[in-house]
Amino acid sequence: MESQFTNDSIGCRQSLSAGNSLKNQTGSLKTGYGVARAHHGELLQGVFEGPDGCLKRVLVSIPCGIYKSEVSFTPNGSDVVEIEPKWKVKSCRAVALTLSSLGKHKCGGRVQIRSNIPVGWGFGSSTSDVTAAIRATANALSERLTPHKIAALAVCAETACDATMFGKRMVLFAQREGMVVEDFRSSLPKLEILGFNTSPNGNGIDTIGFPPARYSWWEIEAFRPMVGLLRRAVHLRSPQLLGQVSSASATINQHYLPKPHFQDLKEISEEVGAVGLQVAHTGTIAGLLFDPGDRLKESRIEQAQALLTTIGIKDMWVFQTRETGLAHAKKVGKGNGNY
Amino acid sequence: MGITKIAPTVIESVVLPKLIRLDRNLYGASFFLMKLLPARFILDRARDAGLLHEGSVIIETTSGTFGLALAMLCKLRNYKLIIVSDPAIDAPLQRRLEDLGTTVEIVREPSRTGGFQQARLDRMAEVQAAHPEHFWPAQYSNPHNPGSYAPFAELLTETIGKIDCLVGTVGSGGSMCGTSLYLRLLFPQLRVIGVDTHGSVIFGQPDQKRMLRGLGNSLMPQNVDHSVFDEIHWVDAAAGLMATRVLHKKHALYMGPTSGAAYLAAQWWAKRNPEAVVVVVLPDEGYRYQDTAYNDRWLHEQNLWLDNLPESPVRVDHTLEAGSEWTCMDWNRRTYEEVMGAPFSVVKNNEPVVSIR
Repeated sequence: MESQFTNDSIGCRQSLSAGNSLKNQTGSLKTGYGVARAHHGELLQGVFEGPDGCLKRVLVSIPCGIYKSEVSFTPNGSDVVEIEPKWKVKSCRAVALTLSSLGKHKCGGRVQIRSNIPVGWGFGSSTSDVTAAIRATANALSERLTPHKIAALAVCAETACDATMFGKRMVLFAQREGMVVEDFRSSLPKLEILGFNTSPNGNGIDTIGFPPARYSWWEIEAFRPMVGLLRRAVHLRSPQLLGQVSSASATINQHYLPKPHFQDLKEISEEVGAVGLQVAHTGTIAGLLFDPGDRLKESRIEQAQALLTTIGIKDMWVFQTRETGLAHAKKVGKGNGNY
Repeated sequence: MGITKIAPTVIESVVLPKLIRLDRNLYGASFFLMKLLPARFILDRARDAGLLHEGSVIIETTSGTFGLALAMLCKLRNYKLIIVSDPAIDAPLQRRLEDLGTTVEIVREPSRTGGFQQARLDRMAEVQAAHPEHFWPAQYSNPHNPGSYAPFAELLTETIGKIDCLVGTVGSGGSMCGTSLYLRLLFPQLRVIGVDTHGSVIFGQPDQKRMLRGLGNSLMPQNVDHSVFDEIHWVDAAAGLMATRVLHKKHALYMGPTSGAAYLAAQWWAKRNPEAVVVVVLPDEGYRYQDTAYNDRWLHEQNLWLDNLPESPVRVDHTLEAGSEWTCMDWNRRTYEEVMGAPFSVVKNNEPVVSIR
C-alpha cells in the first residue's frame, strides 16, 4: 500500500480540468529525477544573529558522498501524490508543496524514493529525501529551483531541515527558517573524515521530537568567535582552523545531545593528531577530521581506528568532503554493511 | 556583503578596535574606548531582562573610561546616569560626562582601607538608597562585563585566525578574562599574559598608591578569574609611560598609559617567541593624557622619565618578591589562593571585611 497525500496544501482544491492539467501544459507526462547526498552531521551548530538582528538556530553541514537519496516523480494526471515507501510522508508533502509553488495545484503523481542513508544516525536522511523529491518534482516540470527555494520548501515540509540542498557550497544555515544567515561564498575546504557511530546499539534520534538546545547567554556569545574563525578557515582553506571550530561546537553541544565516550573521543583526537572532532547534533555519528595534505594522515587514521575499537566503536568509514562519487568512499572497520 | 554600512550611532562605529601590525608576529588591537563593549552589553542584557526603560536611573562608581562609555550610551538611549567618582577624575572627563547629561558626584576623602575605591562604593550605596528603582551595572562583579567581549574575539578569529598569546592590562578583569575564555574554546593552548602594576592587590601585591592609572585595583574585582592567566607582569609607572611614548614615536599610535604598559610586556614576549602570534589589547586613546604621559616636563618633574625602555623584566617566583621595577612571574593558571596560600582578604581594624574566593 502506498500512502496518499492530496495536493490541497495551499487550499485550492478543485477538480481537474483540461485547462490546468499538467499534460496539456507540457505536452507529455515526463518522469523527473532528483538526487541528494547525505551529510555527515555538522561542523558547527548553534545560535547566531541573522540579518534581521534576531537570533537564529544555525548549522554548517558537512556534505558526505557515501550515501544518497534518489527520487523519481511521475505525474499521472490524478490530484493525489502517492509515495513509496509510504512512511516517507515528509517527502510526499514536499512534492505537493513544490507542485503548488510551481502553480500546479491540481497535479498528482507517483513518487519513488531509493535511499541508502541510515535513518536517525545524523546523516540527514530526511532532508536528503525531501531535497531529492523537490528536485525530482521540479525536473518533471522542467523547472530549476535555487537552493534557497528548495530550502524554503523543505522547511515547510519537515519543520526543520539542514543545508543539504546547497551541496558543497558552505553556508551558515538557519534550519528552522530554511534561510541562509551567512553565505561563505565558497565550498567547504577539503577534509578527510574518519566517521563512526558513537552508539552502535542505539535506535537513532527522532530529529523533530528532540527538544532544541537551550544555550546559555555565554554559549550564544561564544558562537561569534567560532563563526569568525570559520570565515578565516574558508579564506585560508585551512583544515586545522575548521577542526578547531568543530571541536569547540561539539564541546558546547555535548551538554545538550551527549555523545557517549565524548571525553575519550577528544583525547583520541588529540593523541592521533586529528585536526578536530565533529559530531552530528541530531544523531549518533561523529567524525575525526584530518588534513588531506598531511603525509602522516594514513597512520594517524589507522591509529585512531585502533583506539576507537578499544572504546567499543565498531562501524567506521573514511571519506573526503570534496569527493562526490560513491567510488571514493571506502568502508573500514568491522560490522559495516548491515544497513 | 562587502558594502560599507552607515552606523546608526557612534557606538557601532567605534565599539570594535582596529587591528594593527606592530611587528612580524605582534598585532595591536587599538580601541577608541574599550569600555563601550561591556557598557553596551550590560545595558542590552538589562534592557532584555526588563530592568531598563526610557528614563531609568543608572548609578555606577568609576573615575575612568567605563563612566564615559556609560554616559555616551545613556545619552543615546535616554537613561539618567549618576556617576560617583573621586578626585582622580580629570576635569575634561568630568566636563564631558556632564555635557552628556550625567550627574557626577565627587568623593573628597579616601576610606581608611580600600582608599578612594571603598569611599566611592560607600557613597554609591547612599545614592542607590535614594533611588530605589535604579540599575547598577557593577562592572567589577557583573558577569556580563567579561561576557561582552565575544564580538572582539570574533574580530580576532576572523581577521587573524589562530592566536597563540593574548596580552593586556587587568583592572576589572573583564577584557582579559572574558576574551581569553572565548578564545580558549577554540585555542585551549592560548597563553594569557595579564599586566598589572605595583601596589595593585589583583595579583597579590600590598595595596599602595599607584602612579600608573587605569590598570590594577585597590579592591579585588569578582570578575578577575585568576586561573585564566599563564603569566603576570607588574609594570612600573616610568616604564609604562615611556612604553606609551614608544608606541607613539615608533608606530604613530597615540594611546593611553594602559596601552603602553600592555605593549611593553607584549613586545618583549613577542620577540622572544617569534613563532607565536601575539595580540596586545590597547584600551583607549591618548588624548586624556596630553598633560601627563605626553608631557616631557611632567614626566621629569614626577621623576618618571626614562631615556630608554628597560629591555626585560625581572623574573620572580612569587608575587611578594616583586621589587619596584618591571617584574614578571609564571602564574600557571592558578587560583589566587593557590599562589598566595590564602584567599584574598582586606583587613580593616584587624577584621577581614572583604573576602573573595
